[in-house]
Amino acid sequence: MNASPILLIGIGGAGASIARGINRASGDGVRYILADTDATTGSTDAPFVLLGGDRLSGHGAGGDVAQAKLAAEDSLQAIDDAADGVRLVVIVTSLGGGTGGGATHAIARHLRERGVPTIVFATLPFAFEGEERQRNAIGMKATIAEEANAAIFIPLDKLIGDADAMEEALRRAVDTLASAITLFWRLVAKPGYIKLDTERVRHIIAHAGNGRFAVATAQGPNRTVDIVNALSSAQTLTAGTNPVSSILCGVLAGEDLRLSEIGKVADGVRAAFGERCTFDLGTVNDEATFCGRLSVVVMLFEAGGKTADGATIGATTDSSRRGRRLTKNPLSVGPQGRGRFYNAEQTIWRGEDLDRPTYLRRNISLDL
Amino acid sequence: MSNIYAALEIGTTRTVLAIGEAKSGERLRVTSHAEIPSTGVRKSQILDISQATTSIRSVLREIEKKQGANGDSLDLSNVFLVVNGQHVKADPYQGTAQVSDGRVTEADIEEVRNSSRLMALPRERELLDIVDQSYELDGLAGISSPKGMSGRVLKLDTLQIHADANRINNARTAAGGVHLEIREPLFSMTCAADAVLSAHDKRNGALVIDLGGGSTGYAVYADGYLVSANVIGVGGDHVTNDIAYAFQTTQSQAEDLKRLESNAIVGGERGASPRVQLTGSSPLMEARAISRRALDTVVNLRLKELFTIIRNELEDQDLTHKLNAGVVITGGGAAQRGIDALIQREFGLPVRTGYPSEVDGFDQTTEAASFASIAGALLYAHRNYEEKSIFKKILKGLFN
Repeated sequence: MNASPILLIGIGGAGASIARGINRASGDGVRYILADTDATTGSTDAPFVLLGGDRLSGHGAGGDVAQAKLAAEDSLQAIDDAADGVRLVVIVTSLGGGTGGGATHAIARHLRERGVPTIVFATLPFAFEGEERQRNAIGMKATIAEEANAAIFIPLDKLIGDADAMEEALRRAVDTLASAITLFWRLVAKPGYIKLDTERVRHIIAHAGNGRFAVATAQGPNRTVDIVNALSSAQTLTAGTNPVSSILCGVLAGEDLRLSEIGKVADGVRAAFGERCTFDLGTVNDEATFCGRLSVVVMLFEAGGKTADGATIGATTDSSRRGRRLTKNPLSVGPQGRGRFYNAEQTIWRGEDLDRPTYLRRNISLDL
Repeated sequence: MSNIYAALEIGTTRTVLAIGEAKSGERLRVTSHAEIPSTGVRKSQILDISQATTSIRSVLREIEKKQGANGDSLDLSNVFLVVNGQHVKADPYQGTAQVSDGRVTEADIEEVRNSSRLMALPRERELLDIVDQSYELDGLAGISSPKGMSGRVLKLDTLQIHADANRINNARTAAGGVHLEIREPLFSMTCAADAVLSAHDKRNGALVIDLGGGSTGYAVYADGYLVSANVIGVGGDHVTNDIAYAFQTTQSQAEDLKRLESNAIVGGERGASPRVQLTGSSPLMEARAISRRALDTVVNLRLKELFTIIRNELEDQDLTHKLNAGVVITGGGAAQRGIDALIQREFGLPVRTGYPSEVDGFDQTTEAASFASIAGALLYAHRNYEEKSIFKKILKGLFN
């Protein structure tokens, strides 16, 4: 049995594809399981948890987030069994349909309550998939952001480059995401001279909030400059509006990696995304994979990690705001502060769910 | 002989029915109106038709009592429906016609108007209104009356207002449950603006903001016509929800805090106690005090965000400099303390409460501002159906 302290869970059909891609790209025995309401997602390549087998009979959730959530809750024991002894869980999934949103939400909450920090990488639908899927995804995005310790949302439109053919675009999106998460995976599972071990990453994830994520690769004499330039303008990193509180940076290269290059990358990333943030850096040395190439993975986290009971920790980096910030309200029903608007038609404006309290979205502390 | 009109609004927080009456050529007078809390409606959308029908039945009974007091009953076989919600959209569309002999005639104007009515709408959308804005002749824009002018190509800019057909049909079905027939659905924002803006305001340029329970609409008038309109799915209920979430109160406690204690400007209640007492609502909830400043902050952040969204949309359309007559606030949200000061800060323009001054029968109170849309619907009926005398007074009970 694979005794890695990190478990990868691919949730839903698309999540399973990404997890398989990560396993393929990593090439060294990722500990992973697949979980879906649709029985056809399972295969012999990885342990498979059929979510809500009695409830849905393996036919899938039919795009129904509520059914998927119930199905996942039916199957939490199987998730517990798979996560036995695990210190950190990485979930990959895709939002817009039923299982990715509903099941991820339930599983992330369960793991967090058990004290297992969870980071979710979730893709958001292509624009062409229509308004309804976009709306579903944005709704679940807020829920998952509340339930997982850290969550990174990646719009698929930003992963396809100039690909136009449908099949190629989808393949490129999945491949790009899988290879990017693989770099993060290797950084944690196979640390190099500068270690970013599981416990350190576990600590960072447990104290993180929403995240952003990008990878850049270059070769040649100016590879560090090229990489810093690429990361500084990466849409997936620059899209956020809330302040960054911590930076996780991984440098992956072959044996030609120089100390001065690590310094240039670290300085460039800090200058681009926050001089005063917590900064953690690790390296991976793999001559066979990276011969002559340099890859850098950067994850930016906003403040606001959660304790096992869901309370927010480190809510703000502004020391002038010392008020108590409420994140849970037993009386206002529904997640994410939607309260009376739970299950109502959402009001989305420039990507924000306006049904959630403004002060919460602005991260304003209230002196109650 | 008077003409009698009826208008119905199935809002998020309340259902309103109003009756207006006018003799030909005279100003319309609202003779009675009634409102009851809505059920089965959320964010301006009917979620339970039978509950919505029950609300309409209740409000009809109220009207019947009032009309009965006047010795009359009404046959309400035609009612004008006020439509609100973020599903309502206003899209520009331009009609084009070739001027037949180099000088614009009535026939050319008729042709360009017909051309401007050709915008295809998807089956699921229902057209509420087409607003003629201004003409353009060979590139010369902003013409109000092109007749007799020389040119070759005549264009007419319009604003096409349309809404989700299913939602309007749901309202028709709910009204049909008590034998009310919807004659015409009308956009709440054009109704509200017609009730509160004078022709002078419309020429000078004005912004009307209707802050309702489930949504907030705005309409911009300049040079005498409607330039832009939109509805944002955020209303007074969002303020209430934010308060409930922040202070762990029930929705009704939050509603009371909003209505009775909060100010849209933080610290706007000068001399008020810094703590607001909250009575316990159940054995599980003890009486306690909350910070007035925190309460104002929650309200201020929500409303400021809403007005910033509106301002941004106007800036995107380059309209903010056209609002010489300022901002007029209508709807239930007009009663929020400090709202005029907040709008003034956000837009840098004079602000006033929008009373339905174009009709008679309402006092100049903030309560009257919440009836602007329904008053405007009656006004529309009067202006467009005056000769048809569509509502006949008859001695007939409504609930035989």
